[in-house]
Amino acid sequence: MADQPDGIVLRRHRDLVGRHWQVWLRRVLVGVVALVALLALFGFMGQTPSTTSATAAPATLSISAPSTVRGGLLYQARFTIRAHRPLKDATLVLNRGWFDGLTIDTIEPSPLNQGSRNGAVVFELGHVPAGSKYVLYIEYQVNPTTVSSRTLTATLEDGPRRLLSLSRHFRILP
Amino acid sequence: MDIVLRAAFAFTFIFFLTRVAGRRELSSLEPFDLILLIVLGDLVQQGVTQSDYSVTGLVLAAGTIALMQIGASYLSFRFNRLRPLLQGEPIVLVDDGRVLEANLQRERLTLHELQEQARLSQIDSLDKVRWAVLETSGQISFIPKN
Repeated sequence: MADQPDGIVLRRHRDLVGRHWQVWLRRVLVGVVALVALLALFGFMGQTPSTTSATAAPATLSISAPSTVRGGLLYQARFTIRAHRPLKDATLVLNRGWFDGLTIDTIEPSPLNQGSRNGAVVFELGHVPAGSKYVLYIEYQVNPTTVSSRTLTATLEDGPRRLLSLSRHFRILP
Repeated sequence: MDIVLRAAFAFTFIFFLTRVAGRRELSSLEPFDLILLIVLGDLVQQGVTQSDYSVTGLVLAAGTIALMQIGASYLSFRFNRLRPLLQGEPIVLVDDGRVLEANLQRERLTLHELQEQARLSQIDSLDKVRWAVLETSGQISFIPKN
């Protein structure tokens, strides 16, 4: 009878000579998988909404939306306008980053009017009395094939007058 | 093109996961493992084809995965040095009736599991085993003493 089965090298397969590093490699790789899950728990893999605000004398604009999303994800962006003075003709101008590669499921409430200005989308919201709050919801779904990193800009105007502008970084993971 | 890249990534990631998970986890098919396997398949499918329901999408995704599988097996066949990386290596668990505890621990195997596998091979005692080898497939082969 042979000392060991064919194909078995005792030093390598029984005594594990030269194979001790493999266990550590496996542990490190398991650690990498765990780290990715941990990062996701802390919101680094997208979907967690964050709020950014900009204030000017007539109004404050706050945007609450995820800054990182993934392909196919449903999410919401909430635009809150707090008028410190009456806004006769509040207008929100969103650059193309808010729309490229994204499906708009709905916009609530519907703006009084919509248009395009140099590639940006213009929402005319109408009168916002002083001290009141106007909230606009946009419900999105990311087109599954979209992968991107971009800057989103939202500008609040009152008629022809530009009041404030707000920028956010936005990432779409595959 | 996108779906080919997704399928290639899915193949690579699952390959990586299976190598990291260890052999025993993958070779056993308890009811829980079976359900887990189906759930994993569904998750992978969503990531690869997403909302593409077309036959073209099926051909691209399945074709890419099949090609990568053929490629991996060819590399393993052609290059000896890559074989341990791609397929793993066998580990001796029992040598002439002596259980090698360190090797069991390395593969997260208990003595009870080893004894269970021996019983499934109609071996009532590990004392009667000349060699027990954890194969790259995750199966344990037993060679009884004469």
